Amino acid sequence: MNGARWLAQALVAEGVETLFGYPGGTIMPFYDALHSAPALKHVLVRHEQGAAFAANGYARASGRVGVCVATSGPGASNLVTGIADAMLDSVPMVIITGQVPTHLMGTDAFQELDVFGMTLPMVKHSFIARRVEDLPMMIAEAFRLARSGRPGPVLIDLPKDVQMADASHLPAHASLGMDAVEAPRDASLHEALALISQAQKPVIYGGGGIVLGDAVQAFRTFVDATQIPTVLTLKALGALATAHPLHLGMIGMHGSRAANLAVQESDLLIVVGARFDDRATGKLAEFAPNARVVHMDIDACEIGKLRHADAGVRGDIATTLIRLTLPCAAHLHGRHGTARKAWRAQCQQRARQHAARYDAPGETVFAPALLKRLSELAPEAIVSCDVGQHQMWVAQHWRMDDPRKHLTSGALGAMGFGLPAAMGAQEAMRNAGRPDAQVICVSGDGSIMMNIQELATLKRYRLPVKIVLLDNQALGMVRQWQELFFEKRYSEIDLSDNPDFAAVATAFGIQALHVDRADGVEAALQALLAADGPAFLHVAIDTAANVWPLVPPNRNNAEMMDASPTEAAAPSPAHAHAPDAAHALPA
Amino acid sequence: MRYQLDLTLRRAEGALVRVLGTTERRGFQPVRVDGDASGDDDQWQLRMTVEGQREPEGLQLQLAKLHDCLSVEVQPCP
Repeated sequence: MNGARWLAQALVAEGVETLFGYPGGTIMPFYDALHSAPALKHVLVRHEQGAAFAANGYARASGRVGVCVATSGPGASNLVTGIADAMLDSVPMVIITGQVPTHLMGTDAFQELDVFGMTLPMVKHSFIARRVEDLPMMIAEAFRLARSGRPGPVLIDLPKDVQMADASHLPAHASLGMDAVEAPRDASLHEALALISQAQKPVIYGGGGIVLGDAVQAFRTFVDATQIPTVLTLKALGALATAHPLHLGMIGMHGSRAANLAVQESDLLIVVGARFDDRATGKLAEFAPNARVVHMDIDACEIGKLRHADAGVRGDIATTLIRLTLPCAAHLHGRHGTARKAWRAQCQQRARQHAARYDAPGETVFAPALLKRLSELAPEAIVSCDVGQHQMWVAQHWRMDDPRKHLTSGALGAMGFGLPAAMGAQEAMRNAGRPDAQVICVSGDGSIMMNIQELATLKRYRLPVKIVLLDNQALGMVRQWQELFFEKRYSEIDLSDNPDFAAVATAFGIQALHVDRADGVEAALQALLAADGPAFLHVAIDTAANVWPLVPPNRNNAEMMDASPTEAAAPSPAHAHAPDAAHALPA
Repeated sequence: MRYQLDLTLRRAEGALVRVLGTTERRGFQPVRVDGDASGDDDQWQLRMTVEGQREPEGLQLQLAKLHDCLSVEVQPCP
C-alpha cells in the first residue's frame, strides 16, 4: 500500500465515483493505483482544462463534489481556468495535481510549477502533502471544505515521492462529511420581517445561493406565500419556473425589461443568496435607488459588501425562508395589501407587455426562437452553455424549471466551459442511474473551438450529449459591443474562415446535422434529439444578430437599449430613453 | 485610513501568503508586518498595519474566511 493507493481508496470512501483527468509524469503512481480501485471511473479528457470543466459540470448538475486530476507543470496550469470558474461560482471541487518529488521542489525541475502558489487566489483552500502522513487529514479536510458553507474548489498538490511512499501504517480514510449550517439569528429575522411588513413595492431578488443552499423548494414556497414579484440572477434561473406568474425574468445587463424596471421602482429588495454582481446591478450607485434591502446569505462577506443591508440575515437560506414564510404571508392582505396588489399587477402587466416575441421575419434562423423551441421539445434536459450571445439567449429564452439543469459560467464567463461541463453533467446523470438523461450543450463558434477536442471524449465514452452550435461566424458579443459602443470599428471578431463544423464533428465520429433556414429548424431539432448517442447540430445564424435588451455600461438598469421584435412592435416610453450608443462608454 | 490587524494563523504552508494576498486584493496595502511563529503552539501571531479606503470590516470578514485564519481583530490606528 503506497500513498497513491491509499488516496484512491480514500476517494472511494469519500463517495467519489468519477474522476476527470489526464495522466503525466508526476501523477503516474496515482494512475497506477487506479488499477486497484475499480470503483473509481476515470474519464480521460483530451486537455486538462476539459477535466476541470467536466468536474465542474459534474458538481453543478449533481450537487456533489467534482474531482479532477492532472500532472505537474503544464497539466496543472491547464486546470487553472476551470478552478477559477469553480471559485467564482462557488462550485464544490477537489483538484489533485501531481508534483515533482519533494527533494526536487524548488529546484526548477522538469515540469515543476508552483501550482499551489499560482492558485492561491482562486481556491477555497489548498494543501501540499509533503509527507504521506499528511494525506488522511488533507483529503478529509479537502472534501469537507469543498462542500461546506459556501462551496468552492480545494487543491491538493501531491509530490511523486509522497504518492510512492509506504502508507500501510495510515488509518483508513474517514470522511468528515460537511459542517452543519448555521441558523439565522432571531433578531435578524425580526429586522427582516419588520422591513417586509412595511413594504408596498417589494421585489424578491434571487441568486445562486438558493441553489447552493438547497433552498429551491423553500424559495418557491416563500414566493407563492408572499405573492411578491420576483427577479432572478443568471445563476438562479430555474429556481422559479420560467412560466411562474410572479417570475419577471432575469435581472441585469441582458435581463428583462419587466425585471429591471421592477427592481428600479421597488421600495424593498429581498435579496436571497445574491451578491449585487455588477452584471446584475448595472451602475451600482443608481441601482434600486428607492429600495431598502433585506439581504439573506450564508456568507457574511457578501452582506453589505456592495450595497448596504438594512437587515442582514446571515445563515442557512432554506431555514431563513422557512421561518419567514408564514409571518411574511400574513402581510399579504395586511396594511399594505391593496398597494401590494396593485404593485404586483403593474409588474405582471409589464411582463406581459414586454414578453419576447419569436415571430422574427425572414428566412434565417432566429436563435431565440430555436432555443425556446428546443427547451419545449426537451423539457427535462440539462442545458450547458458556453459564453457569449448564445449564453444570454439561453438565459432569456430557455424554459427552465430547475436551476441544476442550467449550467453556465456565470462569474468568470469562461468560453470553452459548455462542452466539457455537459460531459460532466452527463456522467453525473449516469452515476445517478439516468444514463440517457438529456444533456444539451449550446455553444457558439468562438467558444466551441476552445475545447473542441472534447468531442473525442464524447465519442470514446458514448456520452449522448447533444450539441447545438449557433454559428454567426464572429465573436458575436464582442462584435455587438463594437457595433454599439465603438462606432462599428470591428476589431478581430471575424470568424468567417471557420472550419466546416459538421465535418469536424463527423471526423470525431459524431453524427452531425446542419440547418440554415428557419423553416428547417423544427425537423433539425427533432432529428438531433432523436439521435442515438452524441450528436451535433450546426446552425448558421445572422452575423448581425444582437442580444436584447442591453443595459449599456455605466448606466442604470432602467436605461435599456432594445431593438428586439417586441420593442419594434410596441415601443415603450423606456425605449424612447435608450441611451445614445455613441455616448455610452464601456466599463 | 490606517488600521491595525491582529491575527492568529495556523502555521501552515501558504498561510502568510494567503493573508497578504487577500489583504492586497481586497484593497488594502500593508505598511508594517510583524509576526512570530516561534511558540510551541504551531501558530503564527501576526500584527499588520494596513492602509485603505474601504471598510475594514469587509477585510476582516474576508480574512476570517481563510481556513488557516483562527482569529482576526481590526481597529483603527490612532
